[in-house]
Amino acid sequence: MKNRLKVERAEHDLSQNELADRIGVSRQTINSIETGRYVPSTILALKLAQVFGKPVEHIFMLDETD
Amino acid sequence: MKTKWLFPHSYRLIGWLIFIPSVVLGFANLYAEFNLPFLAVPFGSWKIPGDTVPQNLTDELAGIGLITGLLLIAFSREKVEDEMIGQLRLEALQWSVYANYLVLAIAILTVYDMAFFTVLIYNMFTVLLVFIARFRWLIFGTTIIHARYEKSTES
Repeated sequence: MKNRLKVERAEHDLSQNELADRIGVSRQTINSIETGRYVPSTILALKLAQVFGKPVEHIFMLDETD
Repeated sequence: MKTKWLFPHSYRLIGWLIFIPSVVLGFANLYAEFNLPFLAVPFGSWKIPGDTVPQNLTDELAGIGLITGLLLIAFSREKVEDEMIGQLRLEALQWSVYANYLVLAIAILTVYDMAFFTVLIYNMFTVLLVFIARFRWLIFGTTIIHARYEKSTES
């Protein structure tokens, strides 16, 4: 799964830390999602989408391998 | 995130405070036949009916202490407990069960008699020990990658 988390974060001027605090996860989790090492649950994906005020599909996209 | 079956974060420290003296006591008992005098049981063993040899409960105390300490260390919540941490915990647990039984299988094939009994004594605690080591290693790994990533995005 691909994601635009890093771009969205830059657009909203949020650090990984701030984003992690907002949705109640560890910094490492945000980092792991950005680098594609961790695929978040639906709940977490929805929370992230809520922070950026965009639909989930705008932030997370399926890969050819998914 | 709601997590089931975990102790509060602060219990990890309590776990270490129980584990360290217990492991010292356990080794002292196993290899130096050290017994705490006040744990002597004047009557025969309560485990073996009819046994009249006086017992000492030092090894029992060490064993229970090790189990309690290790369980608290292993299953206390992280400071920030989220779903990825939960997944790492499960992966570490599976890994430790595999590793533990692999080692036990090797021991079954290579160790005999009383030495095997010693292996079994260790085996009672190694699942938790290996789990703790593996889990901390996984968390340490993600922290390192995170730190590197932060550095690379700063510059």
